[in-house]
Amino acid sequence: MSVSREEIVRVEGLVKEFRTGMGIRRKRALDGISFRVLEGEIFGFVGPNGAGKTTTLKILMGLIFATSGRASVLGHDVGETEFRRRVGFLPENPYFYEFLTGREILRFYAKLSGVAKPEIERRVETLLDWVGLAHAADARLRTYSKGMLQRVGIAQALVHDPSVVFLDEPMSGLDPIGRKEIRDLILRLHAEGKTVFMNTHILSDVELLCDRVAIIVKGAIRYEGRIEEFLGVDERSTDVVLSRVDPGLAAALEERFGAIGGRGELVEVRVAEKEVRELLDRALGAGANVVSVTPHRASLESIFLSAVAEAGARDRSPGR
Amino acid sequence: MISIPAIGTLAANTMREAIRSKVLYTLLFFAVLLIGTGVLLSTLTYVEGERILQSVGLAAIRLFGAAIAIFIGIGLIHREVERRTIYTILSKPISRGEFLLGKYLGLVATIWLQVLVMGLAFAAVSLLAGAPLGIGHAQALGLAAIELAVVVAFSTLFSSFTTPMLAALFTTGLYALGHLSRDLRDLGSHSDVETVRLVASGLHRVLPDLESFNLTTQALHALPVPGSEVVFAGLYGVGYSAILLVLAVLIFERRDFK
Amino acid sequence: MSWGRRWIFRGAGIALLVAGTAFARTQLPERPATESGDLFVPQPEVARLASLGYRNLVSDYYWLQALQVVGGSAQNPSAHAPLIGRLIDVVTTLDPWVDHPYRFAALWMTDSAESVRKADALLDRGIEHHPDEWRNFFYQGFNRFFYLDEDERAADSLEAATRLPGSPAYLPRLVAKLRAGEGGLDASAAMLEELVRESDDPYARAEYEKALDEIETERRARTLDAARDEFRRRHGRDIVRVEELAEGPDAVLESLPPELHGFEWVLSPEDGRIVSSWYGARYEPLFHASARTEREQMLRGGAAGSSRTESR
Repeated sequence: MSVSREEIVRVEGLVKEFRTGMGIRRKRALDGISFRVLEGEIFGFVGPNGAGKTTTLKILMGLIFATSGRASVLGHDVGETEFRRRVGFLPENPYFYEFLTGREILRFYAKLSGVAKPEIERRVETLLDWVGLAHAADARLRTYSKGMLQRVGIAQALVHDPSVVFLDEPMSGLDPIGRKEIRDLILRLHAEGKTVFMNTHILSDVELLCDRVAIIVKGAIRYEGRIEEFLGVDERSTDVVLSRVDPGLAAALEERFGAIGGRGELVEVRVAEKEVRELLDRALGAGANVVSVTPHRASLESIFLSAVAEAGARDRSPGR
Repeated sequence: MISIPAIGTLAANTMREAIRSKVLYTLLFFAVLLIGTGVLLSTLTYVEGERILQSVGLAAIRLFGAAIAIFIGIGLIHREVERRTIYTILSKPISRGEFLLGKYLGLVATIWLQVLVMGLAFAAVSLLAGAPLGIGHAQALGLAAIELAVVVAFSTLFSSFTTPMLAALFTTGLYALGHLSRDLRDLGSHSDVETVRLVASGLHRVLPDLESFNLTTQALHALPVPGSEVVFAGLYGVGYSAILLVLAVLIFERRDFK
Repeated sequence: MSWGRRWIFRGAGIALLVAGTAFARTQLPERPATESGDLFVPQPEVARLASLGYRNLVSDYYWLQALQVVGGSAQNPSAHAPLIGRLIDVVTTLDPWVDHPYRFAALWMTDSAESVRKADALLDRGIEHHPDEWRNFFYQGFNRFFYLDEDERAADSLEAATRLPGSPAYLPRLVAKLRAGEGGLDASAAMLEELVRESDDPYARAEYEKALDEIETERRARTLDAARDEFRRRHGRDIVRVEELAEGPDAVLESLPPELHGFEWVLSPEDGRIVSSWYGARYEPLFHASARTEREQMLRGGAAGSSRTESR
């Protein structure tokens, strides 16, 4: 982890309030968030639906304006436009001009992004190839499926070879093969040294792809840090699944190891790694069968869930 | 600071959208039909048939030009926001002002192309019927085109902050008021109440004076129009449109695209 | 229900619907707007405001309506003079640079002195916008002379016409005649002949030819009046039949001048004057020929009159 890397995104004390109803009441969507994204990393911006992920991204893209606080990308205030030559953006469920063909729309975005004329055709062909749309390049977007539109969205975000890419739910609307392809594409961008900012609520993607994450819940950042740090926070645990557990054994196991789960005939016990041997000895000694022993890696999920639960508890507590 | 190529790209794309949409051809079809109907109507009179033919033709061009300006203009900006196509565009190095200007110029170019097509149909019908064609007709069509640029500026302005329904209402209303603004001032000037006179003359100054772009009578009767009048009407139209666009940009630049 | 039967039912239903709608349509009374009085003619100022920059188009619309009034009324267009007046007022308010409608009004608005004066005012508007058009002055002069019996004002209009390009060479003499109080039948005939010559409107030309016929008939009737006076002087008694003037021992004429339309000369049952049985009354300049025909029809019952007016 190098400390000298440039800050690509810098967000400080960002507040966004929306007027609701007749414009008298205000709803606070972002409650003074701060975070930064460093050069070359894949940054996961994680949170449940409605947490403020898209609001933050829209502020970064200059689509909405912050009520207070500061946000900059590549060292430029987000109100500027010129720096966007080096920025790519994939909105959530993107829509495009349906009257254009895949090739035409990419040409259009390439021109808007200021790609040099002789470069345009080459870039368009490359991107069509990358996202697997070469076969449909001359069909109108009207005829495209949702997954194909998502690919167009990714292609337009990359057509001008940006140095930082913002992706809002990049996997949405894609089938498992499509997800795999987009994951590979993101890793490829990473390998090329580009910075990737990704909004998502799919934790497995975050674990697979991201270097760093920020968890946002109800407009506030709950955690920010490297993935490895999160994994270190929680002790490694193991799930053991048993069958033919008699009630006596079940009660004993519950007393010793805490809550146990069950699915029909099966009983599931989660224990720390060093307790696995003791558990297995006891269970086998009592005549139970061992169905599976699986190391557990759901640390991000547990952090995420506890962050959400914590925010919920604070909401319910008096004085707020 | 304004990027001309970006505006050009947006304008060209707006034109392409209009040219690929069915609304345009429907309206164009009816316009040419109406110009042709002039031939029929002109046979109903035994005198001045060619004049009626041209009167119907010029009215058709202005009416359908305005219809296209309003129908397409009211959704010009709103649809982009509603359908979120604007998200990806504004994420490119495009300012909101450039976006608005590109859309506006694209629609104006589309409508001018329409006026050209309708004007050619008008000229063809006139020639076939043996009606005179002169500089007056060119001047009338030219100022009609300027008037349409003002109408598009209005629909763009309204489209930048309200729904197509309301934008249509506002634009149509202002189109009507624009043609009445001289009468409004004249009616007001007859009032005994000072306030009414002031309001009427104030409205006349603020409202678009669309009658200044209407040279139909002059064209039909071959009345001479000083070149300076045409030039100043043109300048007035361009200036008025520019003011409306500046207003539109000021509003548009402050909008949140939720 | 089978596929075929369902379609039979549907087809029958649609057929019934179409038939019913078509029947209702045939039951609707259909009158030309101009005949039924349904034609709405707005106030000129209102029309000007409501036309919103499409004045020429709206003007033309009402012009075509005015043509319909004349073309659509088989009997007697000038009976619609008030309607024509309102229509042409709208037409010329919306587009005062139109040309023909002014003279159209002058031609058809002749049922009463009031109509003629209104047409006179419309002609003034035409003159204002076409100061070089001699015909507007000429029509105005003719109407003032022919219908209003205002020779001095007629001379004023005609004199203005003489100064304009294209005006006929004899006009100055006509003006002199009117100024000298010598209008009469010759002046009327001269003007009508000019109107027949210059008119590009077949309806108008027919109307002026009718008026010319009327003047020629009047001229012949005046010859008969003179013969009648001679008859009285010679025989000390009046005629019982007009034919007596040229028949039998007491004849004062070799033959009667023929009635222009192939009708005959009779003594009017009203005032005993010699009249053509075509017109039934003597020429009076103040009203339009067709208005007189209508009056005659009223007096003599419809049968004879209706067959005559078919010439229109």
